Amino acid sequence: MTPDQPACGPFAHDRSTVNRLMLHVCLALLPASLFGLYLFGWPAINLWLLTCAAALLSEAVCLHLLGQPLRRLLDGSALLTGWLLALSLPPWAPWWVGVGGSVFAIGIGKQLYGGIGQNLFNPAMLARVALLIAFPLQMTSWALPHPLGAAGTPDFLDGLRITFAGAAPLDGMSGATALGNLKTQLTLQRSASDILASDFRLLPSLLGYSGGSLGETSTLLLLLGGLWLLALRIVHWEIPLAMLLAVLLPAALAQQIDPLRYPGALYHLSSGGLLLGALFIATDPVTSPVSRVGRLIFGGGCGLLVYLIRTWGNFPEAVAFAVLFMNALSPLIDRTCRPRAYGRNPRGKPLVAASWTRRAKEVDKV
Amino acid sequence: MSHCGGAQIVVRQGKRPWQYFTDALWDYNVALVQMLALCPALAVTTSATNGLGMGLATTLVLIISNAIISSLRHVISPEVRNPLMIGIIAGVVTLIDMAMNAWTHELYQVLGLFIALIVTNCAVLGRAEAFCLKHPVLPSILDGAGSGIGFTWVLVLIGGIREILGSGTLFAQASSLLGVHFQWLELTVLPGFQGILLAILPPGAFIALGFLLAGKRVLDRRRAERRIKTHGELVVLP
Amino acid sequence: MNSEQTDLPVPPEREAEASRLARWRSRVAYQGLSLGLVCALVALALLLGDHFTRDAIASRQQEDQLATLRQVLPARLYDNDPLAEAFRLQDAELGEVEVYPARRGGELVAVALRVGTLGYGGPIVQLIALDNQGRILGVRVLSHKETPGLADKIEAAKSDWITRFAGLSLGNPPLAGWAVQKDGGQFDQFAGATITPRAVVKGILRALQLHARHAGKLAGQPEEVQP
Repeated sequence: MTPDQPACGPFAHDRSTVNRLMLHVCLALLPASLFGLYLFGWPAINLWLLTCAAALLSEAVCLHLLGQPLRRLLDGSALLTGWLLALSLPPWAPWWVGVGGSVFAIGIGKQLYGGIGQNLFNPAMLARVALLIAFPLQMTSWALPHPLGAAGTPDFLDGLRITFAGAAPLDGMSGATALGNLKTQLTLQRSASDILASDFRLLPSLLGYSGGSLGETSTLLLLLGGLWLLALRIVHWEIPLAMLLAVLLPAALAQQIDPLRYPGALYHLSSGGLLLGALFIATDPVTSPVSRVGRLIFGGGCGLLVYLIRTWGNFPEAVAFAVLFMNALSPLIDRTCRPRAYGRNPRGKPLVAASWTRRAKEVDKV
Repeated sequence: MSHCGGAQIVVRQGKRPWQYFTDALWDYNVALVQMLALCPALAVTTSATNGLGMGLATTLVLIISNAIISSLRHVISPEVRNPLMIGIIAGVVTLIDMAMNAWTHELYQVLGLFIALIVTNCAVLGRAEAFCLKHPVLPSILDGAGSGIGFTWVLVLIGGIREILGSGTLFAQASSLLGVHFQWLELTVLPGFQGILLAILPPGAFIALGFLLAGKRVLDRRRAERRIKTHGELVVLP
Repeated sequence: MNSEQTDLPVPPEREAEASRLARWRSRVAYQGLSLGLVCALVALALLLGDHFTRDAIASRQQEDQLATLRQVLPARLYDNDPLAEAFRLQDAELGEVEVYPARRGGELVAVALRVGTLGYGGPIVQLIALDNQGRILGVRVLSHKETPGLADKIEAAKSDWITRFAGLSLGNPPLAGWAVQKDGGQFDQFAGATITPRAVVKGILRALQLHARHAGKLAGQPEEVQP
């Protein structure tokens, strides 16, 4: 090798590409998404299609404006952003919420930072928070489950009317999420155990027959997809585990101390977007730390914030806020928790074995 | 002189008095180029009317403080210039605050909150430090007026963007600032529009400012490119 | 930027003076004195400004307060100056509450209470006027930091929501009704904002309860209450 050629390490390639990564995450999301679409009917299907299409279209427009090749559209990252955003929206939201959110996510959340791999914040969650702040009314009207084909469910035309014409859902078709309901009822001096006993059923909540965002309701199907990703090593175990534990442990502890005020761990696990966030959103490789310790800190921070905001904050749900907050910290975490380089200790000094070898060489020379 | 992409780079020589005024409007704009006074530019601009009021009040302070500090420039010793200038600016602002409170009370009810904030406005101290200590009184006054009006149009623009997006109106309540004769300014641009709340909240200010900065750069580049094409030269300000 | 020196050339007879000034300017005593002098001049200007504007400002502020008071207390009800007779009432639950008594012919006809509650973005300060029977004459929000465009409908200028409380009292509606609809009460919340109207209703309820607790003290002997 001549000195002016760059040295090339003996790297092994595991055939993981952005394309493969994104496609597998989408596949893992498929069961929960299909269930969500089935559960919330035609308006949800319209919203999901629109949000994904708008994400792809905004990506294409941005790539064109930036003078980049359009084939980057095929890497699937824009599709995944739109998909995740759609799953985190109220299922019967009007069309402009989904489209506006996608344009914000891709245009401002991703391409303004420099495109794929450059964004500081998770684009889908950035758009979700922007939508929540900009349109609090639309973003907090939740449809109750109306499975496709069941009686009284909006048919295809009704679905179009709800999505595009802003037709108000009929009475009894909308309601509060479990988290929102708890928050309201607690202010009426009712005890948490009382509220949960009357309004909360664990099994339907785990299966997903409850009000909430499009794709976050079915805890079990999300877990299925997440475990598959974990088995493929596309998602590392540190962030989901740390995040779930950081919610469940304080919740269990608080319930032991005062069951009248604090709901338990299973309630937190099965409500809201905790599992979607822990398995699919916080684990975004671009916006999370690199090292194992860093990922544990990141996940733990997300979980703790979720619990704190859910319990004492103004908003009933907090996954998006928690993930964005920890996204902002992840460069700092990366700085403090640098992974050890091969052959060196964490401080960057050569390992004893290396120095021993050098000494041995010097001895050899003599 | 040097060359850049085939174009001759020309540094503009000399300066006519009115150019102190015109340069500050666009090329040396306080908010968009010097990036000063962003705190009021972001905090106050929830509507075009608020932006206009804050801009006009700042312009008044800039002209007066520029004139005073420039006329004292030989007497001020560099070691104590900062406390001196801040003292003078704070005095001017407080006097204006009291006068407006006493005699133009209607206007004060709209702007009262912002007037005291002008003391902490970096643009006022920035112009005093960068310009008035080195220039005679007349150019300083022209610079103050230009900087102030340059600041005002940026504030009105940010306020207008945020107001249209956030509540669908433009120059709402302008008559309480400018008098009943200006009621025609109060427009409802998008009737029945609920508004994107984000635009009114602080993040909306940052996003609007970001797009404004980017827009100005695009315009400047286009202008320079056109000049290179027609004249084959690139004029650079000193 | 703007670095070229544009001062006019200095005539020779002033040059010596300028150099002497330059020498002085580097001395600490000169710096201290100039700083002190400028501060003194600014202080003097402020004193003069205060002297000329003080009365005008005081009367403007008086007018402002009176204008707000007029919105909750109809002027035909009283003939005294409630602002001048304002006093602070000690309450076990709410602490100190500012009270503006409205009298007609020396007899108390109504009081305006200044009550603060915590809203979404910060404290919400309200002025609530009650007649002797504890009926609400009017409510206005004096200051708040709620989200513009969403929760600022509590201002009378933005919406007539706040005027709906006039005529109500502690028994009308019954206690359970004194809440926003989301909490089972009878007052609407705004679309997308529950915390703000909830805080306003809570503040009004507190004022009503305070009035009921101190009704005798307020209506009885006005001399007994210490201003």
